[in-house]
Amino acid sequence: MPNPYSGGPDRSMIDLVGGDGGEINPAIYVDEDIYRRELEQVFGRSWLFLAHGSQIPETGDFVSTYMGEDPVLVVRQKDGSVVAFLNQCRHRGMRICRTDCGKARSFTCSYHGWAYDISGRLVHVPLEQEAYHGEIDKDAWGPVRVPRIASFRNLIFGCWDEAAPDLETYIGDAAWYMDVMFDRSGAGSELISGVHKWVIPCNWKLAAEQFASDMYHAPYSHLSAVLASLPDDASPADADWPQEGAQFRAPRFGHGTGFFASERGWEFNVNTMGRTIVDYLAGKYSDAAVQHLGELRGRQITGQHMTIFPNFSFLPGINALRVWHPRGPQEMEVWSMILVDSDAPDEVKAAYRDRITRMFGTSGIFEQDDGENWVEVQRVLRGHKTRQTSLNASMGKGHTEDRSEYPGIVSGMFSEEAARGFYQHWARMMAGQSWEELAQEPASACGKPDSGS
Amino acid sequence: MAFIASVEKSDLPLGAILKVETEVGPVAVCNVDGEFFAFSDTCTHGNWSLSEGWLDGHVIECTLHMAKFDIRTGCVLSPPATCPLKTFAVEDVDGEIRIELPAPDEGGEKK
Repeated sequence: MPNPYSGGPDRSMIDLVGGDGGEINPAIYVDEDIYRRELEQVFGRSWLFLAHGSQIPETGDFVSTYMGEDPVLVVRQKDGSVVAFLNQCRHRGMRICRTDCGKARSFTCSYHGWAYDISGRLVHVPLEQEAYHGEIDKDAWGPVRVPRIASFRNLIFGCWDEAAPDLETYIGDAAWYMDVMFDRSGAGSELISGVHKWVIPCNWKLAAEQFASDMYHAPYSHLSAVLASLPDDASPADADWPQEGAQFRAPRFGHGTGFFASERGWEFNVNTMGRTIVDYLAGKYSDAAVQHLGELRGRQITGQHMTIFPNFSFLPGINALRVWHPRGPQEMEVWSMILVDSDAPDEVKAAYRDRITRMFGTSGIFEQDDGENWVEVQRVLRGHKTRQTSLNASMGKGHTEDRSEYPGIVSGMFSEEAARGFYQHWARMMAGQSWEELAQEPASACGKPDSGS
Repeated sequence: MAFIASVEKSDLPLGAILKVETEVGPVAVCNVDGEFFAFSDTCTHGNWSLSEGWLDGHVIECTLHMAKFDIRTGCVLSPPATCPLKTFAVEDVDGEIRIELPAPDEGGEKK
């Protein structure tokens, strides 16, 4: 495979993913120039998850997070609104706030003491008269504000690009699938406090793509974790997974999800998730969810994986929530959280904390399987020949299905339709397409060849 | 003569600080273990409200540059502040906390 990447924009970016996202040039996982362009074109333009509202309920509550590699502070204001600004002092560039989260009345840079109020306004410069002779314009030197902040189901997103569509349009059909997790009972959701963070040497897209599109790995990658969870007297048939399900590809903007959909509910997962959670999801506690979302989303959709492009992923039901922060082409920082319905009983919340930490926490038995795959894929790409070798994402191409119960483009559960959607949108953003162009559904989303850009 | 500013005791639960605008500038009044104290609200280092600060026992810490003062005496406990804070006598009169202020021409800090 010749390497079509020429260092320039436009057609070469589309070619990197085989036009329709079905054949991947591994340069996208290792190339420094592509990575710098990604920070600009993808992370500089997309809606990015910043925080869950429950992390910052009161005035002055803040979390310190990232938009791509740009550190930002996300702060609750007196009027209940949320403001985000670069965590970078405009004086000499020091990080303004050096803690992960907390409650602030003001933020003071620890280098020279420039101080900001909670909305990011520069309010005090030491020796303003003596050293600056009263000539500094404090209003002009606050940290750079994130111009657009919006929420969906108490998930707070930010976007640098004034030209991007509003958040509701950006999420689009994906909202229907997100609600399985974020609007299960209508009572809202909250995070279990504490964010687990770890750094692993692999490109962020390997994880984001898998959560968008990959049910296929589960029976193989996670077999040992499933078997280890079985009681000694259990039959392997007890862990037999449903065969029915679907995959969703967002018609535009790169989101994806897939899931089982079966009347068997979550029972097949009782040994890993435990009786309390399984009963909560599909048993005695699930009537309210069925009433609110219907039988399909309230009880039958299970094992769901999902990514909101580019780097916000989650597992509805399991309720693990992820941000894949890029750290160069060959490394990412994983931020892992656990979500619960606000009205879930205390024993259910406790079960989520314990069980999901065991499954998907830093050393979770499922997490280890995934991390090992991604890191090995990255390690293999240290080679010369391996970087010249294209990778296959063609599963199910041309086999979308007409399923009236599901919004968006739908295929079988074992498919790479959503991965192609992810990579194709990525490539179009990288090619510098305008939001007007990006809003056009690519022809290849329906299995036809893409005309390019 | 002394000017009086006052706040309702019920507005000052344990550990609370209120900012009161007065003839001599903003004054902070707080409740430490049931005892009430009043002091100039503006940090003597930078122009910042001490009622936004952290109260720990009888110590108020400015959030801007971490200057500390003893609210009983106004003494500086930690730089970068170097000038002491003005303090004012308070009286609890039937659930009303009265702050005795100097007249503006008697060394108050009217702004």
